Order: sequence, then C-alpha cells, then structure tokens
Amino acid sequence: MASATFTDSRWIARGEERTSLPRFLLWLTPWAILLAVGVYAAFLCLYYGLNQTNMDNRFAFGLWIFLDLGIIALGAGAFFTGFLVYILKRAELKPILNTAVVVGFICYSGAVAILMIDVGQPLRAWFTFWHPNTHSMLTEVTFCISCYLLVLSLEYIPILLRNRQLRKLPSFLIFEHQLHKLVPVLAAVGTLLSFFHQGSLGGLYGVLRGRPFAFRDGIFIWPSTFFLFILSAIAAGPSFLMLIAATVEKVTGRRLVPGEVVRRLGFISGLLLAIYVAAKSIDTLIWLNYTSPSAGFAPWQYFTHKPFGTPILFAEIVLFGLLPAFLLTYRKTASRRGVLLSAAALACAGVLLNRFVLTVQTLAVPTLAFDEFLQYTPSWQEIASFGGVLAYGVIVYSLSYRYLPIFAPTKGEHAHVSGN
Amino acid sequence: MFPGIDGFHWTAAHVIFLSLFFAIVATIVATVVSASMRTARDFRTHHAADLCWQSEFAELPEANRKCRHELSGRVVSRICDNAFDCRHCAKYSQFAVLPATGLARDLGLHYPDDRLYHRGHTWVKTEEDGTVSMGLDELAKHLIGEPDALKMPEVGDAIEINQTAWRIQKNGKEILVRAPLEGTIVEVGGPQEKWYLKVRPRLNLQDPATLRHLLQGPEVHGWLTRELERLQMQLRASNTPAALADGGTLMPGLMDALPGADWDCVLEDTFLEAY
Repeated sequence: MASATFTDSRWIARGEERTSLPRFLLWLTPWAILLAVGVYAAFLCLYYGLNQTNMDNRFAFGLWIFLDLGIIALGAGAFFTGFLVYILKRAELKPILNTAVVVGFICYSGAVAILMIDVGQPLRAWFTFWHPNTHSMLTEVTFCISCYLLVLSLEYIPILLRNRQLRKLPSFLIFEHQLHKLVPVLAAVGTLLSFFHQGSLGGLYGVLRGRPFAFRDGIFIWPSTFFLFILSAIAAGPSFLMLIAATVEKVTGRRLVPGEVVRRLGFISGLLLAIYVAAKSIDTLIWLNYTSPSAGFAPWQYFTHKPFGTPILFAEIVLFGLLPAFLLTYRKTASRRGVLLSAAALACAGVLLNRFVLTVQTLAVPTLAFDEFLQYTPSWQEIASFGGVLAYGVIVYSLSYRYLPIFAPTKGEHAHVSGN
Repeated sequence: MFPGIDGFHWTAAHVIFLSLFFAIVATIVATVVSASMRTARDFRTHHAADLCWQSEFAELPEANRKCRHELSGRVVSRICDNAFDCRHCAKYSQFAVLPATGLARDLGLHYPDDRLYHRGHTWVKTEEDGTVSMGLDELAKHLIGEPDALKMPEVGDAIEINQTAWRIQKNGKEILVRAPLEGTIVEVGGPQEKWYLKVRPRLNLQDPATLRHLLQGPEVHGWLTRELERLQMQLRASNTPAALADGGTLMPGLMDALPGADWDCVLEDTFLEAY
C-alpha cells in the first residue's frame, strides 16, 4: 500500500502526478552538492574578505555583478506578468502567473544573496537605510530591490499556503485568501519598484563619466541606459518565463502552459524587444556620433580590443535583438514551437550579453592614455558562489513545482471570487 | 544622513526620495496588516468556515461537484458553482420546478425518505423538539464497518456547515465527517445509537431554505448511483479494465475486506476531502 512506502504524496496536490520521492531526491542531490560548495565559497569570501576573488580596485565589477544584473533582468517577468494580469487585466496570462512569481522570487533572492557576499559585512546592511546617499543610483537600487524582494515574498506566500497540507490549517487558508485579494496592490507596488530599480541599474552605468564607453546622455537625471534597461528587462522577462515553462515541460513530459499563453507571451516579448532594438539603435548612433566624440574619444577605439570587437555590438542588436523580435512576432515563425522557444532563448541571451558588455567591457577597455586593456578571470570562489545561486534556484523551483500549484492558478479562482 | 546623525541636513532630494520610499514601505505593511485583520474578522464572524469550504469545494474533482438537478435528471449536465449552497443559489428555483427523470432501482442500500442527505455521506432528520439528528449514511457505514475509534465534539460545541463535525479512526486512517448543518450540539451519540449528533440548528427550521441544500427524493437515487459506480471503479483490482457490476449489493465492512485498496483516494472522494 502507498502509505507503507517512503512517500510524500500527502503533500502533493490532489490529482497531480509527480515522480517518486527517491527519484526526486536523486534529482536534487547534485544541486544540493553544488549549493553546499557555493555556501562554502561564500563563507570564505565573507570570512576572509574579497581577497578570495580576482576583483580589485580597477576591476571592481565582475562575475557577481554580471549575475546580479542578468538574473534581475530575467526575473522581470514576475513584475511584468503581474502588471499585465492585475493592472492591464490580461487574464489570459493567469496560467503563468504563479510560476512567474516563483521565478521572480528566486531571481531576486539569489541576487540579494550574491550582493550580500559582494558588498560584504551583511550585518551592517542596515547602514544603507540609515545613511542613504540620496544622490546615488545604487541607493535607489538597494531600496527598491529590498522592497521588491519583500513584495515578491508576500506574493509567494499565498502560493506557499496553497500547499495541500498547509491549506488544512484554516488560519493559513483564510490568510492566503485575504492576501490573494490584495495581490493587485502588491503587483502595482512591484511594478513601480521594478521600473525604478531596473532603470537605476542601467542608469548607474550611464552616469559613469570616467567610463566613456558606458556614459550616455539622457533625460533630466536619467541617462538613456536607464530606459534601455527597463525595456530590455520587460522584453526578456516573458521570454525567460517561456523557457522555464518549456524546460519544466520537457523534464516532466507534461504540457503545463496552454499554447495560446506561450504565443501571447512570445508576441509581447517580441514586440517589446523590437521597441528596445529601435531605442538601442538610436542610442548607439547618438553615442557613436555625438556622446563619445564630444568626450574626446573615437568610439570605434573601444572595439579594437579582442574579444570585444564590433561583432559583439552586431550580436547584441541584430542576432539577439532584431532576429528574435522578428521570430517572436511574425505569425508564421511564432506558430512553430521550436522557433518560438529558440527566439526566446536568443532574447534572453541578448539581455545577458548586454549586461555582460556594460559590466565587463566597460571596465576592461582603457580610457586613459596610460591605461591598459584589463583582463579578469573569476576565482573559483566567485564561480562556486555563482553556481550556488544557480543550484538554489533549481532546488527552490523544483520544490515549488512538486508541492505547490505553480501551474494551476485558475483552478481555485472561483473560491476567491465567490468568497468576497 | 538621518536626524541624529552627524552632519545631517534635509534637502529636497531627501524629502522626495525618502517620502516615496516610506510610502511604498507603508503600503506594503498596510497590505499585510489589512490581510491579517480581515483574517481575524472572518474568524469572528463565522465567515472563515464558509471561505474554507468554498476554497476546498473549488479543489474537488468535477465529478464530486455535480449539481443536484443533474443528479435528479432535471438538467442534462451542470456543475455546481455555488459550493452546494442551494440556499443562496439563483438557479435553484429555476430548475427545481422541472420534472425529475431517470429510473429508480433498488441499489441495496437503505435511504429512508424521512431524512435529508448531505454529499459528505451524512443524513439529517428533524425531530419533534426542534432539534435535528445527524448520522452516517448507509454507504459510509458499509465502507467503514466498525470504527476503531471516534473523536466526537462536546455537548455545547458549535459546528459549522461543511466543516468537520466528528472524526472516525479506521485502519490507521482518520476520516473527517463534514457537518450537514450548522448549529449547537445538544447530545452526542455514536454507531450504537444509530445517530451521531443531536443539534439545535442555528437557522430557523421553519424556513424552507434552511435545509434546501440537502438532497432528497430522486436526487438521492441519482447521487447514490454515481457514488456506487465511482466506488466500483476505485475498488476494482489493479491491472483490470474498468467495468461495472451488473447487479449485486454492497457488502459491509469494505475497509476490512479490501485492505490493499487505495483507501486514501476512496475516502477523500467519499467524504469530500479536497486536500
């Protein structure tokens, strides 16, 4: 009988089929090992300091900041899907909403964990709130990311409380119900916070006058990178959700998201990507012809250092921008699942490349006459903590998929409506 | 930077930035506090039980959510969207006047007409003193047989409709029996008394709507037929194709007779356990 075997079936939603517990634990084992190594590497960095990394005063942004910027951009699907569903009332996207929240929670909590190691002294983290430098883009980023992680946690709680066993506790069930009713407020707050911190992450590069490769003109206090980061994040976020859902479908062998929802997400992603590519192209032309020359730098000199040649610029705008935008929006290509997902992968790769360029290329290329082209290779501690965050994400998502209704949000909606 | 910190002085940037930030923090905190207060209010006003049931109802398999009018043959197909609350169902009167259809045949279980039946396999019988008695129906009794133990509420306790009224232990499993009606317990019985609880209803029994949610007449037969079919499917030997018996009656003490069956699944469906 089932009850006599090693099973967790009482914790799995009724009617849902999941792999056996031993197989699930087997799947988690390598990720748990990777996480353990990452935690050890993080301990070394926190205990001995940043001498455990290959960063220095000249190359202060490395793998970790690239990871932060990358996963925060990819995690934008959470706030943007919430915005579409709750603010713009696009109810057809509800089937992907819960998984968007889980992905967003993982991305932002992972980013905060890495920031904690990177900045160091986590016990003094409160200093940033008590001594805020209101002239710094990073202060805005810190405030917004902290608040948004709180918002994501609150959005994750109703999903967590929908676990089969937790729902048996009436107080949890009612709190979940009431919190769920207020989620639109959280979605609105999340949209505001995300808009500003996605923008400020881009803005902090755009204001670097000492780094003309990244410096941009802009509107009022915001350089153009402020708006480009927002646009690229909301373009890549839905694509990343599509990829996550498709990966889970591949691993589990089940169809979890209706095809119409995937195509809708793809179209939204493609449309926003097209707008981003247009804005990015205009921005690049202005930078090439005006911003960089007016600072006394010939822009093409930045592309003479291998491997940061012009192919990267081409790849960023055409290969990972224009091409996926076309494939995601053109009906004939978007109707083919393989093409759609490949285009989504290109869009995600594009946003990651953009963050890589702004983080690493910005610091690597020389800006002064006596400067040299800098090279940086992450230490094993940096790579291990990177891997630890990846493992953390896989573990949290796997547990969520197994025990929570992250692909079935519409099933219990009637109860919420009629219970008002 | 803040007051009390050396060198602090307010600027417009401070005011704008910090006002915005703390407005957001206040909104987040207010959202959580509001959800907590609403939760507490729901428990104070007995609304929590309704919400729990509605949430659980939404999670029940579709086969367990059939409208009573489909069971009686008054409509071809209809899923209840009102958590079996026929008291406040806008469609109830519209369908109730239609003639019931379907052939009634002897199902081998005794369901007296002087009682009303709840989908969680309990019955309600009105007594002359204004109370109601409640008990397990025949199908549930055939399934469970002799209980190993009972956990009964105390006299004076309040029970809420569709929430757990009493618990039965059998073969290591705990069965939560749902209350068919809300009220205050005036007497506690058990299997020997043929009834489990006597309850003074919270609502007026003279009001025809009070017991409207309970099944009666041809609805009971339609419901029971489907329940027996479900039971046959769930209790068939593993690796055998789906088939329904032609004739025969349900034997008593099925949980003892078929210890290898998936009783978690059977009991969940029988007693409307959603999770």
